[in-house]
Amino acid sequence: MSDPVETIKEWVIKGKKNEAVAATRDALAAGTDPGSIMKDGLIAAMSVVGQKYSSGEFFLPQMMIAARAMTEVIPVLKPHLVGEAAESRGKAVIGTVQGDFHDIGKNIVRMMLEGAGYEVVDLGVDVPADKFVETVRREAPQFVLMSALITLTMESMRRTIAALEAAGLRSVVKIGVGGAPLTHKFAAEIGADFYSEDAYGCVQRCNDYIAA
Amino acid sequence: MPIPGLTIIGERINPGFRSTQALFDDEDFAGIQALAVRQAQAGASYLNVNAGTKALKDPHFMVEVVRAIQAVVDLPLSLDCPDFAVLKTVLEAYDAAKAKGMKPVINSISESRWELAELMKVRPCKAILMSSEQERDGRIVPNRTGEEVHEVAKRKVKRLLAGGYAEGPDDFFVDVSIATLAADTEGLIKMALEGIRLVGADPDMAGVHVMGGLSNLPQHLPAKAADGSDLKYHLECAFLTVAMPLGFDTVLGTPWRDYRLLPDDNFVLREFRRIVELRESDALMAVVDLYQEP
Repeated sequence: MSDPVETIKEWVIKGKKNEAVAATRDALAAGTDPGSIMKDGLIAAMSVVGQKYSSGEFFLPQMMIAARAMTEVIPVLKPHLVGEAAESRGKAVIGTVQGDFHDIGKNIVRMMLEGAGYEVVDLGVDVPADKFVETVRREAPQFVLMSALITLTMESMRRTIAALEAAGLRSVVKIGVGGAPLTHKFAAEIGADFYSEDAYGCVQRCNDYIAA
Repeated sequence: MPIPGLTIIGERINPGFRSTQALFDDEDFAGIQALAVRQAQAGASYLNVNAGTKALKDPHFMVEVVRAIQAVVDLPLSLDCPDFAVLKTVLEAYDAAKAKGMKPVINSISESRWELAELMKVRPCKAILMSSEQERDGRIVPNRTGEEVHEVAKRKVKRLLAGGYAEGPDDFFVDVSIATLAADTEGLIKMALEGIRLVGADPDMAGVHVMGGLSNLPQHLPAKAADGSDLKYHLECAFLTVAMPLGFDTVLGTPWRDYRLLPDDNFVLREFRRIVELRESDALMAVVDLYQEP
């Protein structure tokens, strides 16, 4: 592992945060391009982790450890980033809808998005519709992502979309929904822009919208 | 062989299980009855009944489900629904004579749904008391420590007994909520264990049951542990092994799962005891060691 960027990438995939931070400091001191550390080190690492998770090779704890390692590296790297590399790919507001306290799926999507270079505003769980509206108004994100794990709280998604509509904000964001009881059909019925079965798919849909 | 002193509330009649979802979608009452009989034969003492969103759209659907189940098993039922009107209709239709006179169980009363307590006046009932969250300054917040779990459980039991809602402590099941180990960076499982210990040791709460559902615990983990054993099954057994001596006596679970207490040298039990003491990335690393061969 002589390539410093490759070394950082491997440590992040393994979730070794101290090693990843040390390798990043070394690489910066040796004059490695910070943009390359971001793109070919961190973002590439999280893309590998996301794929391994989707394929069933990795499980949730490994994904969480890798995401935490990446989170530790970012503040070390950020001051060195300039120009395009310093910009986030896009901004998403994410939350588990009102009445629902499940956060594992929502957190996986957040970690994957951050790993893909997005800025994510995480509203947590049991998020009322007006909180989404207020945050969209303040943060001006490209995406609003909602999670629900119980059939009883899926209706909160419909109410949130209606509230964004009423606030005149519906057209400025793409709305994605996910969670075990959801379907494409339900997403279409409530007027969401997309549904994704898993976190990796959600990131890909966001990437597609950004590229379009 | 069931574990002595462990009461099982059969969890399978719930559309959260994919195979059960199909029974509800098709309104396959014979299939639901067969599932009830299978759980009873496997040793359940109660059957939980969750009829999903259909119950909310049509209160009589849950009544039909309950009648169908009572026609084939003589176990008391735990009625799992958050809606007051639906539960009231179902409680009125519940036939205690068909359950050897045993009271139904309301699943569940929490501080965010306190109005459901009034249902205990519709007819004599037992109740599951959700103790992982509490109301503070008009907001529902999750509990973070075993002390909070104990305190919330205790004040609910006191309030319900003082108000004449129940006949005695035996009518209550304190539900401590068992978190998912694979994502437990904040010690939520430790909180549940501490809550169990404090409720179990509180003389004012003698006779109150302590319960939890095991289905969340092993989620997001692979099937096999690093020693080649069945990881999910052994984790559930590990929880029971640690929790039962503290006072845990009722499980919402799958009756044919053959729960048993594990010997101290069991790999999964040993690791489980270690992991619940850890936090943040250390906890996650230790969970990875549980299934990844070194």
